[in-house]
Amino acid sequence: MRDVRGDVVRRQLHADHGCNVERVRSICGYLIQGETAAEAIAARVDDLFADPIIEHGAANTLFLTTDLFDQTPDIVVTVGFKPGVTDNPGKAATDGYLTLFPEDAGAKISTYTTYAFYGAGEIDPTWLAGTLHNGLIERALVGDSAACQAGMWPALDYPTPPEQVFIQPKTIDLECEDELLEKISFEGLLALNLEEMRAIQAHYRDEEVRALRTTHGISPDAPTDVELECLAQTWSEHCKHKIFASRIHHVDHETGEDTVIDSLFKTHIMTPTHDMQKDVDWLLSVFHDNSGVIAWDDTWSVCMKAETHNSPSALDPYGGAMTGIVGVNRDILGTGLGARPIANTDVFCFGPPNWEGTLPDNLFHPSRVLRGVHAGVRVGGNESGIPTVNGAIVFDDRYIGKPLVYCGTVGIMPRHLPDGRPSHIKTPVAGDIVYMVGGRVGYDGIHGATFSSLELTEESPSSAVQIGDPITQKKMVDMILEARDEGLISCITDNGAGGLSSSIGEMAEYTNGCEIDLATVPLKQAGLSPWEILVSESQERMTVAVRPADQAAFEALADLHEVEATPVATFTSTGMFHVRYGEETVAYLPIEFLHDGVPQLQLESEWTPPHQTPFVTPNEADHNELLSSMLQRPNIASKETWVRQYDHEVIAQTAIKPFVGVERDGPGDAGVIAPLHGDPHGLVISCGIAPRYSDIDAGAMAAAAIDEAVRNAVCVGLDVDKMAGLDNFCWPDPIESVKTPDGRFKLAQLVRANRELERVCRAYRLPCVSGKDSMKNDYGSGKDKISIPPTLLFSLFGDHPDVRNSATSDFKEAGDRIYLVGHSKQELGASELSFMMRERNSDNGIGGNVPLLLNPEQNLATYRQLSSTIHQGWVKTAHDCSEGGLAIALAEMCIGGRIGASVDIDGTGDGDLWARLWGESLGRIVVTVKPEHESDFLATMKGHPTTILGEVTATSVLEMVDGETPLISSDVNELAQAWKGTLDMTGGVA
Amino acid sequence: MMVPRVAVLFGFGINCDHETKAVFELAGAEAHRIHVNRFISGDSNLAEFDILAVPGGFSFGDHLGSGRLLGNRMRFAMRDALRDFVDAGKPIIGICNGFQVLVKTGLLPGPDAGQSPDFVQRGSLGLNDSGRYEDRWVTLEFDPNSPCIWTKGMTRMTCPVRHGEGKYIMPTPQALEALSTNHQLTVRYVDPSTAVGEGLSDTALPYPLSPNGSMRNVAGICDATGLVFGLMPHPEANYARWLHPDHTRGTAPVGQGNALDSWEGEGLQMFRNAIEYVKQNR
Repeated sequence: MRDVRGDVVRRQLHADHGCNVERVRSICGYLIQGETAAEAIAARVDDLFADPIIEHGAANTLFLTTDLFDQTPDIVVTVGFKPGVTDNPGKAATDGYLTLFPEDAGAKISTYTTYAFYGAGEIDPTWLAGTLHNGLIERALVGDSAACQAGMWPALDYPTPPEQVFIQPKTIDLECEDELLEKISFEGLLALNLEEMRAIQAHYRDEEVRALRTTHGISPDAPTDVELECLAQTWSEHCKHKIFASRIHHVDHETGEDTVIDSLFKTHIMTPTHDMQKDVDWLLSVFHDNSGVIAWDDTWSVCMKAETHNSPSALDPYGGAMTGIVGVNRDILGTGLGARPIANTDVFCFGPPNWEGTLPDNLFHPSRVLRGVHAGVRVGGNESGIPTVNGAIVFDDRYIGKPLVYCGTVGIMPRHLPDGRPSHIKTPVAGDIVYMVGGRVGYDGIHGATFSSLELTEESPSSAVQIGDPITQKKMVDMILEARDEGLISCITDNGAGGLSSSIGEMAEYTNGCEIDLATVPLKQAGLSPWEILVSESQERMTVAVRPADQAAFEALADLHEVEATPVATFTSTGMFHVRYGEETVAYLPIEFLHDGVPQLQLESEWTPPHQTPFVTPNEADHNELLSSMLQRPNIASKETWVRQYDHEVIAQTAIKPFVGVERDGPGDAGVIAPLHGDPHGLVISCGIAPRYSDIDAGAMAAAAIDEAVRNAVCVGLDVDKMAGLDNFCWPDPIESVKTPDGRFKLAQLVRANRELERVCRAYRLPCVSGKDSMKNDYGSGKDKISIPPTLLFSLFGDHPDVRNSATSDFKEAGDRIYLVGHSKQELGASELSFMMRERNSDNGIGGNVPLLLNPEQNLATYRQLSSTIHQGWVKTAHDCSEGGLAIALAEMCIGGRIGASVDIDGTGDGDLWARLWGESLGRIVVTVKPEHESDFLATMKGHPTTILGEVTATSVLEMVDGETPLISSDVNELAQAWKGTLDMTGGVA
Repeated sequence: MMVPRVAVLFGFGINCDHETKAVFELAGAEAHRIHVNRFISGDSNLAEFDILAVPGGFSFGDHLGSGRLLGNRMRFAMRDALRDFVDAGKPIIGICNGFQVLVKTGLLPGPDAGQSPDFVQRGSLGLNDSGRYEDRWVTLEFDPNSPCIWTKGMTRMTCPVRHGEGKYIMPTPQALEALSTNHQLTVRYVDPSTAVGEGLSDTALPYPLSPNGSMRNVAGICDATGLVFGLMPHPEANYARWLHPDHTRGTAPVGQGNALDSWEGEGLQMFRNAIEYVKQNR
């Protein structure tokens, strides 16, 4: 029988390293700590640990010594988890073990995997082990050929975590010089600047504060460690978005502007949305909750949130990305009184997977980051039963320094609960009991929020990395949604960054106070100190408030679902964030100071347009060759291998899938779901991202991202009058310092991006309802520093009146008429083509005119008309024209339909031939219409830029000309091969 | 008129419970999502239901083999209730993870005809040969002579597979042949370019026509009575034509019934079959 686990390792060694091994065999190992006799367990191996039909099972042996391994391997590698790291198979095995041996209640199981390699004599065993494990979270033991010959097999011990040393709460003296204040912050990983440390110092000098503290038996004039850690979490860049809230002095050397901006967030994001809220009745909840909520119909509302998990994914791509996706699922569960997650989106930015240059210390090769992040999101999403309906993967050298891992989730909830309460409004009152639900608190995940506000260095702490546990979370989701429908929840939020300190602290604002007892919090291991319990970010936890009368029902439901739910706090109206450890008060902070005490940052911004060598188009070119090469570029190439491993159809609602067309391998522009079974009312989910344009102007980058998200959604049939957006900014550190001498420029990029965001969103009537920023995406310092290109991900969710009238990108039938909606301008700056030409010859530049959105009001009007032609059923084919321009869009449409087309690009705009063929001007969509609907279509599009391109042909050739000039004549099957090859990376199925 | 009651199991990582409930309701039944522990605790009584559905999902994360841990809970804690349910001639369906659960509990393929369930595992589902979990649409054909009550009158259908462990395996060629002889190899992956009704083949199809490398391209099997049925593909995911990948091309196949104003998908018939069977045999 085939050993598929071994085959996968063999194929990947070949695909990633060109390394050929004859055969790999695998052994799944279980280390059991318990009271049951070894013979009793041995008798039940086939009931639990091994499949009696397809596997061999044995107890108390390493297997390699048995006659199943009659041939001696060349290398043996055994990989297991480090102590304290989440071991999901081990947890499941323990659960299954207790089904068989219920009396052995204290038993614990840890798992490992052993790989035996044959025909691997030439390979360095240590290198091989390095490819199979991540030293930050896993242990590996290696048996080389000599050890194998000698029968000395590697054997791992049970990973027993070291004893935690309980540290009594202590106080920190802040009556010191500034230098020492900074030192306290730095050494404590607090990530608080001097200004903030001084604000804390000042608080403890206040006589009223001192008097109040004395009466509660807590150190009057100095913070406890619990308080200082709590403030550091609550005031972290991650939680407080201090850069977006800062006061910015902005100077523009291009225009001479010299101005002050009081909070980018309030000015450019919140105010426009609040203005739009006055005009529509469907914006139910914006900004203040865990996700933004819009009314979808009379009975249901939908919400969406996107997060990033960049730093953890850099350290452990698998665990970091998994906690990213299951974490954002909890944001949905924690919206209002609890929404049900129904769709995920994933957008990744990586270094090139085929990177052959050097790698800085402690960074993984981009292909390994891609594999790990993908696996984490795949497992997190699939095991949670949430379809991944939309996403993107973007490549740029600079993401080697920090990969970007954006995870988004859409949720749905009834607008009113059975008891009549609107579900988007939290209703806690003083006296409600606060439960911690789900996982337990451990040493893993301490300092995540502050860590993500620091930059990645070689000394980055491993405790910031965690592995998610989707099944524990799934049980919790099932339980909480039942509790919601039974009316048992008065308030709910996620335990993410900052742990209980943030979750209870934020909810306590509703009632103006809380009292927490940390001694009641269930722990993964004994010995955690009070401050650690308060700020630990251990995963899979929600904080839920329940009225005292509902406690019994709530706890019964938790028991049924085998979910741990423990009362840990009470809401009060004292105005205080009061934390006890048993009887002892360990924190006593005014709610107001905790949430509003952080001083506003004062920052400097200075814009001078960056110099870029202009992109000059070649005098002569073979456009057929360029088309094939462009299709193979990682940014354009098919991501099907990766996307197909996501479940995109669970819940039986996905009407437009990530891949479309006759062979189901053409690109989908946006996801469409019909989440109410039996009802074709739909929801569109799309995204836009254009980081290349930041090399010329981050403002143009932002506008392009928004337009792309809208365009993609229009292509499938969005109702443009009901759409909402999410802004997720990932930036390099924009604060000027010794380490960041160009901070003023990077901040100016942020200013320009925000200004464009406001301008375009107002024009599109597109409110941003939620967002997030990640502002320290750099690696290293000095001349080796790598900063990511400023990157805005714009996610969109909007209404689709009837999914039966949708369009997809694949060409349908010969004779269908092809039109371009929109104009092609002379905008080749920072195009994918220019980047390819620069890679071919470093003398080439990428500068020039970057695509601009000069008249977004006109675009919206055009999109509205085009959408209506889709809703009428006249247009069944539409495709966004973006990376690689019209040539790539048409090639993809031919691939999707496995059919040819004949196209003339003459008259499509005022750009030259190169701009019309390869340019990425915004606002353009290619559509087809059947001849019988052509006049209706043209009548609807009257007054909007609509140019005939040609028609779909009963051939397998894409023909493109510019008037009399032949440009492209390419076989569609060859185009498909070129497009699908680059990112396959599977090593086949043999 | 009698409306059959369907118990749709959920809990511990089952995740297709909502849509499985919905398709039974669209096909005319009254369906309830019931947590596994409610049956184990006695809170709910399986005997009060006419049909049991074990939906797809990732029970216990597929750790230690898909379906193993949930299968064990059912094998040890719901043994009598399940045996009585089968002995009473009531239909059971397991879809994807539910199929894996039924195989690991020993309900599929089950003992020889005429015997009560003995909860002995006789077949298995292993990792796909590709080594990958994949979501892709496949074409299926049904053995017209199968005793399976779920697939009566169905010839060919399309729907997605979404699994990493779907390779159906019997331990010996004799055991596989016996299932084939009894027409228990109810549904198999076929090449869509074959004529409808002529797709069934014992020769292994290449990936991805057979997405997992199953013996004889098996996608699902039934027990000797034809009442217990399990399959890896997801018929419920093609309950409506708007879920079919070809619906914008105007070529999504039409289902047999007339639910959803001519937008019924091919998958709904399977659930309707069981409901009709219960109505006729009560």
